[in-house]
Amino acid sequence: MLEPQFESALAHRQSPDNLSISMREISERGMIDLRGLSSDKKFMSAVKSVMGFDLPKVPRTSASWGDMKALWLSTDQWLILCTRSKTNALLAELNTALGKIHSLAVDVSDMRAIIRIEGDGVCETLMKGSSLDLIGPDYKAGTVRRMRFAEIAALLHIVEENVIDIYVFRSYAEYTWAFLTKAARKGSEVKLFRG
Amino acid sequence: MLIVTCPVCKASGDETDFHYGGQAHVRRPATSDPVNITNEEQRDYLFIRHNPKGLHFERWRCDRGCGKWFHAARDTVTMDFKATYGITELPPVELMKEAKGPWAEFFKNRLKEKA
Amino acid sequence: MSKTPYRLATGGTRIDRARKVTFTFDGKDVSGFAGDTLASAVLASGQKIFGRSFKYHRARGLVGLGSEEMNALIGVGSGNSHEPNLRATQIEIFDGLNATSQNRWPSLKYDIGAINAKFSRFLPAGFYYKTFMWPKSFWKHVYEPIIRRAAGLGKAPEGRDPNTYEHMHIHADVTIIGGGLAGLAAAEAAASTGVKVLLCDENPVLGGIADLTAGTIEGDCVVDYANAVAARLATLPNVHILTRTTVVGHFHHNYLMAFERVGDHDPAILASGAPKHRLWKIRADKVVVATGALERPIAFANNDRPNIMLASAVRAMVGRYGVSPGSAGVVFTNNDDAYLTAFALQKAGVNVQVVDSRSRPDGALVKRAIADGIDVSVGSVISAVDGSHGVTSVKIAAYRKGQGRVITEKKVECDFIAMSGGWNPALHIWCHNGGKIQFDDGLQSFRPKSHTDNIIAIGAANGTMSVEATLHEALALGKKAKALKVQEPDRGALESLWFAPATGKYNEGNKHFIDFQNDVTAADLELAQREGYESVEHTKRYTTFGMATDQGKTSNLNGLGVLSEATGKTIPEIGVTTFRPPYTPYSFGSIAGSLTNDLFLPVRRTPIFQWHSEHGAVFEPVGQWRRSYTYPQASESKHEAINREILCVRTKVGLLDASTLGKIEIKGPDAAEFLDRIYTNTYSTLKVGKCRYGLMMNELGFLTDDGVTVRLADDHYLMHTTSGGADRIAAWLEEWLQTEWTQYKVFVTPVTEQWGQFAVAGPHARVVLAKLSPDFDISNEAFPHMSFKQGHLGGYPVRVFRISFSGELSYEVATPANFGQGLWNALMEAGDEFGLSAYGTEALHVLRAEKGYIVVGDESDGTVTPIDVGLEGMVSKKKADFIGKRSLEQSFLKGPNRKQLVGLLTEDPTEVLPDGAYAVAQVKDKPPMELIGQVTSSYMSPTLGRSIAMALIQNGRARMGEVISFPLEGGKVIKATITDTVFYDKEGGRLHA
Repeated sequence: MLEPQFESALAHRQSPDNLSISMREISERGMIDLRGLSSDKKFMSAVKSVMGFDLPKVPRTSASWGDMKALWLSTDQWLILCTRSKTNALLAELNTALGKIHSLAVDVSDMRAIIRIEGDGVCETLMKGSSLDLIGPDYKAGTVRRMRFAEIAALLHIVEENVIDIYVFRSYAEYTWAFLTKAARKGSEVKLFRG
Repeated sequence: MLIVTCPVCKASGDETDFHYGGQAHVRRPATSDPVNITNEEQRDYLFIRHNPKGLHFERWRCDRGCGKWFHAARDTVTMDFKATYGITELPPVELMKEAKGPWAEFFKNRLKEKA
Repeated sequence: MSKTPYRLATGGTRIDRARKVTFTFDGKDVSGFAGDTLASAVLASGQKIFGRSFKYHRARGLVGLGSEEMNALIGVGSGNSHEPNLRATQIEIFDGLNATSQNRWPSLKYDIGAINAKFSRFLPAGFYYKTFMWPKSFWKHVYEPIIRRAAGLGKAPEGRDPNTYEHMHIHADVTIIGGGLAGLAAAEAAASTGVKVLLCDENPVLGGIADLTAGTIEGDCVVDYANAVAARLATLPNVHILTRTTVVGHFHHNYLMAFERVGDHDPAILASGAPKHRLWKIRADKVVVATGALERPIAFANNDRPNIMLASAVRAMVGRYGVSPGSAGVVFTNNDDAYLTAFALQKAGVNVQVVDSRSRPDGALVKRAIADGIDVSVGSVISAVDGSHGVTSVKIAAYRKGQGRVITEKKVECDFIAMSGGWNPALHIWCHNGGKIQFDDGLQSFRPKSHTDNIIAIGAANGTMSVEATLHEALALGKKAKALKVQEPDRGALESLWFAPATGKYNEGNKHFIDFQNDVTAADLELAQREGYESVEHTKRYTTFGMATDQGKTSNLNGLGVLSEATGKTIPEIGVTTFRPPYTPYSFGSIAGSLTNDLFLPVRRTPIFQWHSEHGAVFEPVGQWRRSYTYPQASESKHEAINREILCVRTKVGLLDASTLGKIEIKGPDAAEFLDRIYTNTYSTLKVGKCRYGLMMNELGFLTDDGVTVRLADDHYLMHTTSGGADRIAAWLEEWLQTEWTQYKVFVTPVTEQWGQFAVAGPHARVVLAKLSPDFDISNEAFPHMSFKQGHLGGYPVRVFRISFSGELSYEVATPANFGQGLWNALMEAGDEFGLSAYGTEALHVLRAEKGYIVVGDESDGTVTPIDVGLEGMVSKKKADFIGKRSLEQSFLKGPNRKQLVGLLTEDPTEVLPDGAYAVAQVKDKPPMELIGQVTSSYMSPTLGRSIAMALIQNGRARMGEVISFPLEGGKVIKATITDTVFYDKEGGRLHA
C-alpha cells in the first residue's frame, strides 16, 4: 500500500526575506485535545501515569516533559503536544488509562496550523493584531493564551523569550501567514518602551 | 470598548474577546417542569427583559479565552463592572440589596432565602 | 518663486536656513527651509490665499497654528497617493512635496464659485433645507450634484491607495495626551514613580506652545525647561513617546484611539517600508488630558479675510519660522496674552499697534506695551476690514460692552491682523466619554468639572492658564510635588467680546464669521434663533455651525456667545453641543489598517482549496469559507458545467469537497440524554455505528440547524452540523451544558477542521471505494445506508459515513486534513475509469432539491418550524423536554394558516421561477395583492429535464394539484402546480442500492 501523502496547511509557503522577524510553519507536531475535570483526581492521575507529569492547573500556563507538552486551555481542557508520529500511540495510551473516567481525548493534529515566529520584536508584531499587552508582565516563557488575533481566533504559546508559536484553525493558516507577513515587514517595526 | 475580566480564568481583555449573553438569571421553565408551563411563563422566559439605567445583571462568556460562561453585575451608565460571579451563582448580597426596580423585586426572595 | 518677501532676516527656532527645501504649491515651485510647515513656507513666499470658503467661496488664508486650522485645507501628493483636506499648518515640507489648494476653480485668485458671495443674501442659514425641498427627484439629479461640485472639500483619488497602513495596540499605566509644558512635566513626574507612561502629541516637536509663553522656570525660559524635560523623557525605558500622533477619541474604560502620521513628512520613511499612518489603540489605567487650549477668533466684520490670524499663530510664525504675515499689523484683543504677539512683532521689526476692547486693561503686559511705545487703543474694536484678497486697512472704532453699532471710526493702514478673543480649554477628549464641564467666568469659557472615568485634566486643558499652577497640577502625578521657582507676568482680566459691532447692518456685506469652515456668520445664528431654533443642538444642525471637519474647535464658544447676546441667556443656560470623536479627521487608510485586499476579510480554505483553484473552480462564499460552486471546463458555461456535474452523480459518480461541514465530538455518560434535549428527534435509541438525521430548533420553536449524527460508542457521538452552523452550534451546546443542564457529564469538542471530508456519490460510488482496498467490508449488507465504518482507504486513515444528500448511493469519507489532498487525489484517480468528476455546491443543491431535501436557511428563514417544512414526524411526541418543544405548542405555530413547504412544477417546464418569487391569492393589475407564500428553492433539473421548485405556501399541503400564480416585475405571471416536494426516486431505492 502506498504511503499516504501528507500536506500541511502552509506546505507551499516560504518565509519572505523582507521580514524583521523569522517565521515558519511547524507541521511535525502532534496535538491531542484532552477534556476532563481538573477536580477529578482519578482523571488527573490517569493522565499523569501516561504523560509522566501533572497537567497544569493554573490558567494560561503549560507544563512539559521530554518531547511532550500540555497547554492549559480551560479548567477542563488541555492541548497535549507531542511528536506527530507518536500521536496515535499516545492517544491510545491515554484512552486506555482513562477507561471509564469521564473524559474526551481527540486527535486534533490537523485541526490547527502552527506558525513559529522568532526574534526581537515578535510581541510588538503580534500587538498589531492583538489587544493584549504581550510585552507586559503577564506574558513570560510558558504562557498560553487564547485570543482574538487580527480578525480570527488564535492560540498563543510563548515558547521562550522572543519565540512564540501561534496556533490557528487550519482554514485560517493562509490568512494568518499573510497578516504576519504584512505586520512583520521590515521598516514597519514598532518597539515599545525601549527608552 | 469595555475591558472584561473572566472570574473563572481571571483573564482580562477587550469585550471583543468575550461574548455578551443577555440578561442574567432568566429561568427556563421547561427544565424543571416541562408539562405545566403557562403561556405567560413561556412569554416571560423568551421575551421579557429588564433594561435598567444603572446596575444590571448579565451573562458573558469568556469566548476567546477559557470558554466558560459567567455572570456580571454592570452599571449601564458608568460601564463599571461591579462584580463577576459564577454562572450558577447569585450576585454578592450587597449588590442584590443595591439593585433597583424589577431586579430588586427579583432578588427580594433570594435575599430572604439567604438570610 | 525665489523671493520670500515675508521671511524675516533673522529668527526661526524651527527652521534650518542652511537647508533649502523646494516643493510645489498649485504647480508652482516654492522654496522654504527645512523645518518649515507648508503654511510658513507658502506665507513666506508672499502667498496669502490658501483656499476658498465652503459656501461663499471667499478667499481665505491661514488662521491657526496647528490642528485647529480651518481655512488652509490642502491636498498633498499626486495620483492615487493624493490625500485631501490636510491642514497647511501641520504639513511639514520636504523636497518634492506636491501640494494643491482646494475648493477653487480654476485658481485661488479667480474662482467662479465666488459668485455665491454676490448672492449670499439668498444663502442664509438653513438655505438647503428651505430651497431644495421638492420636487423629490430634483434632489438626486439636479441639486445634489451641483451642491457637491460647488461646496466640496478636496477630492479623494478614485484608484487604489498604494500606501500601507496598520493598527497597533499599546497599554500604559498613565497615558498623557498633549506634550506641552503640562504634559511633559506630568510625564516626568508620573515616570518617576516607576509606572509605564505613554505621551502622545500631535506635533512633530514636543513642547506645545512653551516657546510662545512668557516667564521663567528655575531661571530658564519656559521653552528651555520644556526641552530639557523632553530630552530626559526620551531616555527613560518606562516612557514611550509618540509625536505626530493625535489622540482622536476617548472611549469606555479608558480606551483611546490615536492617529500617527508615520511617513507623511519624509518620503524616505515610506520607502523604507513603514506604513503611511498608524492607528494606535491605547489602554490606560489613567488618562491625563493635557491638550492645552485653543485661541478664539473674534467676530468682527469681514474677520475671515486672508492675513487675519490668531495672535498665537502670528507669534509662532515669527518665532518659529522667521516669517511675518506682513509689514504692518494690528493686534486685536480682549486679553493680555495677545500683547506677547505685539512684542514679538516689535522685536522682529514689524510695525504693530494694539486694539484692545477692554476700556481699562491694567495687566503688566499692557503697561509694558505702552512703555515700549506700542500704540494701544483701549476701549476699541476693529469695525471694518478693507481688502478681499488680503488686508489693506482696517477701521477702528470706540466700543462699549454691549454696543450694537458703530457710529464713528478711524482708518488705519495695515496688511495683517492678529486677533485673540481669549482661550478655550481643549475639552474634546475630556467630553468624548461623558466628562462634565462648567463655565468659568475668568476664562469666559468652559473647563472640566467631573468625570466617571479615571481621567484628569491639567494645565490649560483644565483652564489653568498660569505656568506656576500648571506645573503644580502636573507634578502632582509624581511622588513628591516639589515646587519649582516660577516667574511670570501678572495678567489682567479678560473681558468677553462675542461680537465687534460694525457700521450699518452687519448682515449686509459685513460678515462676522463664527464658523469659518462652514461659512456660518453671527447673523445666521441670530436668524436661526428668530426662526425658533432655540435649542443650541437645533441651531447647530440648522446652521451647520460647529459641524465642519474642525468640529468647532475655534467656533463653538463664539457661537454660544452670539446666541447668549441674542437671547439674553447666559452661556451655561444655552449649553454646549456634544463633542464627538474624532478630535481631528484621520485617514480611512488608518481605520482599515492592515485589513485590506487579501486581509480585508478572513477567507477560510479547505485542504482542497488549491486543487479547486487549479481545476477552474468558481468559488462561492459560505460564511468565511470559499466553496467550489462549479468547475466549468474549457468552453462550458456555468450552467452547462452544473448540469454535467449533476448528471455525472446521477449516472456515474461524483466527488464533493464537504470539509466545511461542522463536526463536533460529544462524549460522556449523559451524552445521549443531552442530545435528546438538543434535537427534536431521539438519539438515545440510536445504535452504535449508526447515523441519524436530526433537526434542531431554538427555544422559539424555529428550525436552526440540521445534520447527521453518528453514535461512535455508547457514550460517544459525532455530530455533523451545517457548514454555517459549525461554530454556532458548538457554542450553543457548551452554553446549555454550562448554564442550564449543569448536572450533565458531557464533554463537547469541536473538530471540524481536523478532517477533510468528501462525498463520493453516485451509482459507482461503491466500486470507487473498492478500488482503494478498504480494510473494512463495504458490501451493501455489511455497510448499509445510514451506518458508519472506521478504517483505512488507499492507506489513508478514514471515517466513512454512508449518508446521502444527493439521493444516490453515497459515502462521506473523512480523513485527517493534512491527508485530505492525498486522499482526494487517490479518489479522483480511482474513479477515473468510472467517469468520476468533481462536483460543486450548486450541483449539490440541485441534487438535493430533486429529492426534496431541505436546506436550513433556504427552506427556513428563522420563522419556520419543522412542521412547516413537513418534518413533523421528526418531532418527538414522547420526549418530555427538548429545546423548542414548549414554543412549538403555541397555537399560532400550529394554526391552519401557516405556510407549508410544497413542491412546484411550472406550467412551462422550461421556465425557472425566480428564487423568492411571491405567490398571490389573486393576480391584480397592480399591488397590493394578497401574498400566500414564496419560492424557497428553484432550479432547472437536468435529471428531470424540467424546472422544479420548492415554496412555502399558506396551507400548502392541503392544496396539492392547485395552480397558483407568481406575478413578476414587469407584469409577467408564472403559473405553477403545487406538488409533493420529492421530485425524483420517491421510493428512495437508489439510496439503498
